[in-house]
Amino acid sequence: MTMNLPANRLVIRISKARILFINILITASLSILIIYLFTLQIVEGIKYQKRAKEILKRDIPIIAQRGQIYDRYYDVPLVYNIDSFAVNVIPGDIPDEIKEEVFFRLARVLQIEVSDVKKKTPVKYYNNYQPREIKSGVSYPKIAYIAEHVEDFPGVTWHNKPIRGYFFVDSLAHILGYTGDITNDELNTLYNKGYTLNSTIGKSGIEKQYDFILKGKDGKRFKIVDVKEKQLTAKTDEDIPPEPGQTLVLTIDRHLQLLAQKALGERIGAVVVLKPATGEILAMVSYPWFDPGIFYSESAAEKFKDLSLDIRFPFLNRAIQAQYPPASVFKIIMSTAMIEEGSFPISDIINCKGEMELGDRVAHCWKEHGHGKVDFFKAFANSCNIYFYTVGVENIKIDSIVRYARIFGLGSQTGIDLPEESPGFLPTPEWKYKKEHMKWLGGDTMNISIGQGWVTVTPLQLANVVAMIANEGTVYKPHVLKQIRDSITGDSIKEIQREELQKALISKKTFELVKKAMRTVVTDGTGYFITTRAVKVAGKTGTPETGQEDRYHSWFASYAPYDSDNPEDYVVVVGIIEASNIEEWWASRTANIIYQGIFANQTYEEALVTLYPWMRNRIKQAEETQNTASTE
Amino acid sequence: MKRRSFFGFDIFILCAMLMLMVIGVLFIYSSGVSSTGISYSDEYKKQIVWIVTGIILMVLIISIRVSQLKAFSLYIYVFFILLLILTKIFGKVVNGARSWIGFPDIGIQPSEFAKIATILFLAFYYDYIGKKIVKLKYFLLGFIIILFPVSLILIQPDLGTAIVYFPIFIIMTLIAGAQVRHLLFLFLTGVILIILVVLPYIESQIIREEYPVFSILKNIQVILILLAFLLLILGIAAYGFFAFKKRVFFWIMYGMSILTFAILGSIVLGSFIKDYQIKRIITFLNPYIDRRDAGWNIIQSITAIGSGGLFGKGFLMGTQSHYQYLPQQSTDFIFSIIAEEWGFFGGILVVILFMIILLRGISVISNTNDRYAVFVGLGIITMIFFHAVINIGMAMGIMPITGIPLFFLSYGGSSLWTALIGIGILLNISFK
Repeated sequence: MTMNLPANRLVIRISKARILFINILITASLSILIIYLFTLQIVEGIKYQKRAKEILKRDIPIIAQRGQIYDRYYDVPLVYNIDSFAVNVIPGDIPDEIKEEVFFRLARVLQIEVSDVKKKTPVKYYNNYQPREIKSGVSYPKIAYIAEHVEDFPGVTWHNKPIRGYFFVDSLAHILGYTGDITNDELNTLYNKGYTLNSTIGKSGIEKQYDFILKGKDGKRFKIVDVKEKQLTAKTDEDIPPEPGQTLVLTIDRHLQLLAQKALGERIGAVVVLKPATGEILAMVSYPWFDPGIFYSESAAEKFKDLSLDIRFPFLNRAIQAQYPPASVFKIIMSTAMIEEGSFPISDIINCKGEMELGDRVAHCWKEHGHGKVDFFKAFANSCNIYFYTVGVENIKIDSIVRYARIFGLGSQTGIDLPEESPGFLPTPEWKYKKEHMKWLGGDTMNISIGQGWVTVTPLQLANVVAMIANEGTVYKPHVLKQIRDSITGDSIKEIQREELQKALISKKTFELVKKAMRTVVTDGTGYFITTRAVKVAGKTGTPETGQEDRYHSWFASYAPYDSDNPEDYVVVVGIIEASNIEEWWASRTANIIYQGIFANQTYEEALVTLYPWMRNRIKQAEETQNTASTE
Repeated sequence: MKRRSFFGFDIFILCAMLMLMVIGVLFIYSSGVSSTGISYSDEYKKQIVWIVTGIILMVLIISIRVSQLKAFSLYIYVFFILLLILTKIFGKVVNGARSWIGFPDIGIQPSEFAKIATILFLAFYYDYIGKKIVKLKYFLLGFIIILFPVSLILIQPDLGTAIVYFPIFIIMTLIAGAQVRHLLFLFLTGVILIILVVLPYIESQIIREEYPVFSILKNIQVILILLAFLLLILGIAAYGFFAFKKRVFFWIMYGMSILTFAILGSIVLGSFIKDYQIKRIITFLNPYIDRRDAGWNIIQSITAIGSGGLFGKGFLMGTQSHYQYLPQQSTDFIFSIIAEEWGFFGGILVVILFMIILLRGISVISNTNDRYAVFVGLGIITMIFFHAVINIGMAMGIMPITGIPLFFLSYGGSSLWTALIGIGILLNISFK
């Protein structure tokens, strides 16, 4: 058809319809663009204006002053803040050709390697205006030097990054704790609680426990930046000022703490001084302690590593984190159970021959030839194991023992306001069956009757056991925080009230008998190192086995004054001296010094002087009795 | 013939074009001002040089007769095809594509000028074959004319520039009188082909969930079975068509062929197109999945435009632009800085100026009897139109990022010269 015809260009006319189609296409497309432009700029304009501002706006935190920590006298802060500086580099502000030179100079002033500076300002950030922290903990003189030679240090800035200072710390290190830069793990769990990448956070002790009170609320300073983070304008009118952290007042008595610290001396162990009427911790010493100041020094990482590797575990707060067998101190609980349950009359006699048979096992008393015929008071005062083996296995029996141990709080945390408290351990027949598929045996009851075997306690738990006796049935939750005060006005914001932890339905009569027995320990028994005449002390000794022959820890759990009826007067002192110490020392001797100091209002040195002649006599007497006993 | 012009050619087009170029220089200057108010770029000076030389070029084009242009169409086309080949071999890599040729600093992008060359030769071809365009063979020959430059540009690789050739081809062919079903066949094949190439990426990048339908399309075995199935139906339909001469069989064949070609085409295209290219193109569907890279550009551009409001932040007062949040402000995203600083009125002014050029252009070609001139004019109008819609749409986040410039406004000699040559030809047509 058309193929046969010659090509004729005039045959086809341009289709008007198709031209119209193109006209419509163009008009419609461009109209859509205008409509969409209208939606973006007019309908949603406000949203994008807000977003544009957000993109440009940066906030810099203004670090809030961390709260100070006082002891109960609220006169001198134990922990306060010291000005310290962090040095930053804004790479974009240093001209490229002198970057090397500035880095070199800065490294020399800060006494670090040039490579450290370069590591913190990688080449890809050379044109960036975001400050990069080079070093923190820089002292004022170095900052002053940089400030005086500011023309030599273009792009170098600094900001205040306070560190903790201490008026008195020594053995309070475990309680006070220390602070440090927040780690990624901490940030992940605390992200929504006002922490940022640059936050300082409490790492242990009170600093950790009450970080949310101490840290305050960081303020914000706003600025407008370009895409390279270069600051263009500051928006000071929008600044949010920081709120300083609040002041903490502790229950600790720093004079008593120092007394207890010196009384324990350089012996591995712990001492707890507790006011049973309220649960306030008056002193808490754990040796060895550490100096928290090292965490703010320039070689913090190194020193931390050294301390972590110390086999004496200086970071361990033995008063609440170490678990020991209660040994003979457990006899307080045994006695309470025995008297309250009427399992065995206190006047009945048991003959201690130094050993006894149970099944195929022979158990020994600590005294080789035995205590002879003993009633309850004699048995308790001299810590006769045969007596308590017998009443434990035959009369009180394991169920009652476990029940009473629970009433006294064994096997569970006391809930003290310090992190990472150990719960100790209280074994039960059910536990043994579940764990070892073995029945609870008479031998197991014998072990627990003298506080050995699986049972373990922390020194603080034993302090609570004594508090229960002293208060005759009530234990208040131990705590170290006394009050929270406003850091600016000093007004008290919150007083920590005493809180009942345990309330035992045990008769007053029982407690009075146990108290009497504890007093006989001091007057006629193993507590003969208590020589103070300032106060009447009641207590119980204990010598936990360590697994090594002839090596024993030493407990002394006690309260005073014995002759007071007012619970407000009572002070509980519990001490443990570990067997790992080279010289032999008795926990009761530490307690003796502490009681003398408290009730005669003496310092450690004065107490020593007063106690010296009495102690010398007592030791002489003890040696004499021992000699007569061995010649018999 | 009645003419609304002072100088014998269309004054509206000329004025609109000049205004756009002035706005362009203003905002190229604005984009070169830093956050502290210092002008650090002399791009605007270079642009003025390009404009002046471009206008001289335009005047030269106007002085040539359309018939002379027509006579040289083939040579111009062949010249630029050869130049594209040379570019592929000796060219300089700019923005990831080997698209530049010439001396350092004063090179050109042949792919821009090749658009005009292709328009000229295609117009010549359609004028020459006349009514025969209704035949499939002549229709396909026309398609082959654009496939040469398209292929050469695709391997640079510059997907955005290559894509522009298709709407030019479709519109020119439509006006040349081709059968709608031929064009529809090509159009549908293209659309399905693109969908097939992009779908797996939409699944993995945008939706980020597994859909069995998408996974099937990635399985080569499934695709082969599908192809075999399609060919079988195609065979049956072909038999039916020749045996019974029923129209219905023709349309079945038509549909099946579209699918077959689309699948084959998607395999070919998918094999040499790079993942990042596809990712860049589809990021506009959800810029937040890629907020650091391609998504960043879109987010910043939308924010800049949106925050401009009704009157804008004022000339040189844009925040997103001067604080350097907005990328490529003088080239790809020049519309964003205009809309930020001059607001909705600035944006609408630009769109309306383009509308004047395009609609006046159509009116110019409607008034001529020279079929060749009609085809050339229409090709140029389509080119300008497509560039404007894609570029402005991209700035607003409703079109894929293809990196094609906004004619008259974007900084760059090649695109400006191409636009001025195009307008020169349009004015030339209006001159007669």
